[in-house]
Amino acid sequence: MIENRQLIYLYCVADTEPKMKQIEDCGNDLYSVCHNDLYAVVGKVDQQEFGEEGLKRNMADMEWIKAKAGMHEKIIERVMADTDVIPFKFGTLFNADASLKAMLEQYGQEFKAILRKLAYKQEWGLKIYYNPEKLKANLGNDDAEILKIEDEIKSSSAGKSYFLKKKKDELLEKTLNEKINECGQESFELLKELSFEARINRLLPREVTEREDEMVLNSAFLVDKDEVGDFRNMVDTLKMHYEGKGFYIDCTGPWPPYNFCGLSSRKGQNE
Amino acid sequence: MNSVVVKSKEVTLLEILDRVLDKGVIISGDVVISVADVDLIYLGLKVLLSSVETMEKLRGSPFISPMQEAK
Repeated sequence: MIENRQLIYLYCVADTEPKMKQIEDCGNDLYSVCHNDLYAVVGKVDQQEFGEEGLKRNMADMEWIKAKAGMHEKIIERVMADTDVIPFKFGTLFNADASLKAMLEQYGQEFKAILRKLAYKQEWGLKIYYNPEKLKANLGNDDAEILKIEDEIKSSSAGKSYFLKKKKDELLEKTLNEKINECGQESFELLKELSFEARINRLLPREVTEREDEMVLNSAFLVDKDEVGDFRNMVDTLKMHYEGKGFYIDCTGPWPPYNFCGLSSRKGQNE
Repeated sequence: MNSVVVKSKEVTLLEILDRVLDKGVIISGDVVISVADVDLIYLGLKVLLSSVETMEKLRGSPFISPMQEAK
């Protein structure tokens, strides 16, 4: 065994030769491996850092993750500037070029099919948040039923107004949930219509987002490059409609198509 | 005219981690990162990506769960 062995870290796969010059400042040990007309963009990393032991240690180190995940993203984005790519999950590692090529051999047809699907398209992300206080304040001002109860409360005895207030709170809560769902659903549906594919991901809690607002929708869209203009205009329309009412719409992109290159799993494994 | 924010500084890390650690093609290479290791990352973040139950607790949301559009 050699002391400081190296592993091969796979970033992405493309079907045209990637311009390695684009990423030469992202590390010295980057190169591409070609097999059956597919190009894998890989880098050499130290076994000590990325081997099972090293990873276990480093995955607990937030600064390390920040740096490595950021680099992972940067390299794929650079390659993506010139060619469609299939991005791989963080930490996809091989012992040698031979096992990487074996993997390309096994999944080659599927990768080619995915790349055909991804051609001339971009991934965009949309997250929507809401601020419960702002949203409630807003509802109180334009919901007829709530306004009516408020009027009744003013002209009621202490006892009756207690129950009316309770009723008002329940109504507020219910209307709030309706508005939240409406905003999330409408935004998703409208953008989905302008997309080739769309998906909804799990919501991230506030501990993750570090926002005071609660997440309503976490979604991703695969958009034809010709439709991106319309897509972004629609995002602006939604912003105009919903922001100021207690919602915040955050659209980012274009991203490597992380959300749209799922393998038809089981298949291929034993073929 | 277009106010779409492209990768503003503050969201970058969250957005990147949300994708890089959780999405992308998953192939078992020669070194296996177990699910437990990925959980460790989030613990490192002092963060637990919400399980489905947590999400439902956060807010009953009928339209979120079953609609996985992408296959």
